[in-house]
Amino acid sequence: MITLTGLRAWLVQRATAVYMLAFIVLFLARFVIAPPRSYDEWHGLMSGAGMIAATVLFFAALLTHAWVGLRDVVLDYVHVVALRAVLLPLLALGLVALGTWIVRIFWTIGG
Amino acid sequence: MATRTTSATKRQRPVFLDLTQIEMPVGALASIGHRLSGVVLATGVPFGIYLLDRSLRSPQAYRWVLGLCDDIAFRIAAIVFVWALSHHLLAGTRHLLSDVDIGSQLPAARRSAWIANIGGVAIALLAAGAWL
Amino acid sequence: MHFSIFRYNPEHDDKPYMQDFRIDLESSDLMLLDVILRIKNVQDDSLTIRRSCREGICGSDAININGRNGLACVTNVRKLREPVELRPLPSFPVVRDLVVDMSRFWKQYHSIRPYLVNDEPPPEKERLQSPAERERLDGSYECIMCGCCTSQCPSSWWNPDTFVGPAGLLQAYRFISDSRDRATGERLQDLNRDPYRLFRCRTIMNCTEVCPMGLSPSRAIERIRLRMLDVEGHGGGLARHRVPTVR
Repeated sequence: MITLTGLRAWLVQRATAVYMLAFIVLFLARFVIAPPRSYDEWHGLMSGAGMIAATVLFFAALLTHAWVGLRDVVLDYVHVVALRAVLLPLLALGLVALGTWIVRIFWTIGG
Repeated sequence: MATRTTSATKRQRPVFLDLTQIEMPVGALASIGHRLSGVVLATGVPFGIYLLDRSLRSPQAYRWVLGLCDDIAFRIAAIVFVWALSHHLLAGTRHLLSDVDIGSQLPAARRSAWIANIGGVAIALLAAGAWL
Repeated sequence: MHFSIFRYNPEHDDKPYMQDFRIDLESSDLMLLDVILRIKNVQDDSLTIRRSCREGICGSDAININGRNGLACVTNVRKLREPVELRPLPSFPVVRDLVVDMSRFWKQYHSIRPYLVNDEPPPEKERLQSPAERERLDGSYECIMCGCCTSQCPSSWWNPDTFVGPAGLLQAYRFISDSRDRATGERLQDLNRDPYRLFRCRTIMNCTEVCPMGLSPSRAIERIRLRMLDVEGHGGGLARHRVPTVR
């Protein structure tokens, strides 16, 4: 089970937030300046090597950030230890599953 | 109030914790909004990844995803997500700056909380105006 | 003026209730405490509140006024919205009326070792401290332990036994900042030993909003986190802010 002491979890949450903020701002800017107008343009945009790396990193950051945040919500409100012992692993499992999905999408994107 | 003959010390002491009677300062609103928007965003991630997946599979699937934008329920959900993302980003940036001692004193903190709270709603209203 | 006051006497009440009082203000009634005591003396002497110095330094009369914690003795009674609703500090067990059990609050305070730890042999006179070093205690030593901050903190509401709370953490910062203390590393380690002691803090800032001494526990907590990362941060103490008026 992934355990993070207080400081490490907090730091991870901040670091992933900074990366995601930068990615979102740049991505939105790209969409506003030159929105993809067809499947080919969209697919082309997302299959560049740099874009794949940045996007996979974005989702890694997102899922880790979500883990820290949702774990905080559970730690704050769920005081029954047995319930926590079920919820947190389920959460972790769900996030890992989503991560695997992302990897699958971008593994095969280049064709 | 009934008169009791049993020992009063045995009973558990009550607490006052009625949230409807306790003041929620602007920073507290920003904070609970940050948590709520975070949970909303988290619940939307699986569907978001699904849409991403489909949109990249084939031109037909891509068109299907775009077609969703005509659906009114989808538009309303999208506006909720716009609020969630805007508030989460604004309140989150406020936290990041506060962490390095920028705007962490009370007067500045109150102002930035107002901006985060109003900003999120304003952006969502803009989206609603454009999409509804 | 119209007051609605939280009443609870364990000896004959099943549960708390709000009691209404009306009283004409006299010219000598400046602060809320003045009026509470007059209500007690003239209308209902069973009304119970802790009070002592009546000048905002002992912290005894911290109560919840129209939803916001404050000291009754320095709250201008005429500025209050009516009916003025007086309740005990949120989340603390109620002993009687406006008096709460502060034991858990003290327990958290003691848990951060609120005393100087220095095993070096003491010098002839005092352990010296330059003015700049002494300044680093500003904004944390002034705490009067009234409990306003901790009882307004949602993180303390949900995790009172595991989260140290703003008052305790502010004092932890006071000792971490003290140049004469030799236990800084241990203090920081202790606050980082689980995700609860310090890290339940979400920087909601209710603490800073209600502190009657104008202190910022939230800022002290941010600085502790930076210290944990070995970032020395800005030397100097924490500034005090003007206390917002309770309405």
